[in-house]
Amino acid sequence: MDKFRVIEIKESVFDDNNRRADLVRQELKKDKTFLLNLMSSPGSGKTTTLLRTIEALKDEMQIGIMEADIDSDVDARTISNAGVKVIQLHTGGMCHLDADMTKQGLEGLGTEGLDFVVLENVGNLVCPAEFDTGSSKNAMILSVPEGDDKPLKYPLMFSIVDVLLINKIDAMEFFDFDLELCKERVKKLNPNIKVIPISAKNGEGIEEWADWIRDEVKEWQKD
Amino acid sequence: MHELGVVIEVVKTVENFARENNIKEIQSLVLQIGELSSMIPEYVEACYPAAVDGTMLEDTKLEIEVLPGNALCKECNTTFNVLKNEGVCPNCKAKNLELLSGQEFLIKEIVAN
Repeated sequence: MDKFRVIEIKESVFDDNNRRADLVRQELKKDKTFLLNLMSSPGSGKTTTLLRTIEALKDEMQIGIMEADIDSDVDARTISNAGVKVIQLHTGGMCHLDADMTKQGLEGLGTEGLDFVVLENVGNLVCPAEFDTGSSKNAMILSVPEGDDKPLKYPLMFSIVDVLLINKIDAMEFFDFDLELCKERVKKLNPNIKVIPISAKNGEGIEEWADWIRDEVKEWQKD
Repeated sequence: MHELGVVIEVVKTVENFARENNIKEIQSLVLQIGELSSMIPEYVEACYPAAVDGTMLEDTKLEIEVLPGNALCKECNTTFNVLKNEGVCPNCKAKNLELLSGQEFLIKEIVAN
């Protein structure tokens, strides 16, 4: 009869994904492609912000977009009308992207010659925070109607991102949103975070955001 | 409920481990989940059958060990359980704490041959 025995594994569940994410990053570094993982709640204005970003940068760098959605191509069609390379990733019901899905997406998109690729993650603030996608940097959009107390509710997300865009600041007066208080809450969780208030609607703050991207892409492409 | 995606990740990791270590049959899987982790043990159990469906772990038994969420008070150095004390130091009532444990999500072991 077969003997069963206890075999110790003692591995953090995220280790395996983390290793694959590091491999993705090495490839991107070699290809001189800067990958930004963009996360947010549904309805925070990710696609509109992306359109603004493309408009600001498309004459100076080659851009690619990977749109992750549970199951539709509405956003991908909107973006492809802006004239950049775009691919739609269907997560098939999954609430986040992992390093493997990112890798498949990058292969599908073809990173050759691309300077800047945005991975538009699934609209959700819990699971994407736990899975390293292999991106060069992580960004998040928080929109004014969501409230200045959002950092208190989703601390992990705010502590892993490199840059936070606070979108819809044109609507600040209609919502009880305290920008300084929000910044303070975010900095407490993540002292190194860069916070940029923007309005994707009227273009406010987009230039500062574009500058951040320019600097990061340049830094990434250095040997 | 984001446990399913993570449990699928667990299954992949265990399958890889089994392949590398030439394990043919798995009887049970033991996970360790910190009580301050974003994984809720009840939900992990609920989605387990769906996650293992059609994999090497189909028909395995899942066991979950919950690890306590402990913190160190930065004011008076008392160690205490975060949930039981609602994040407040029972000794000096300060809320200035450093987490020592409780956010783990580990694959502890498998029973296999």
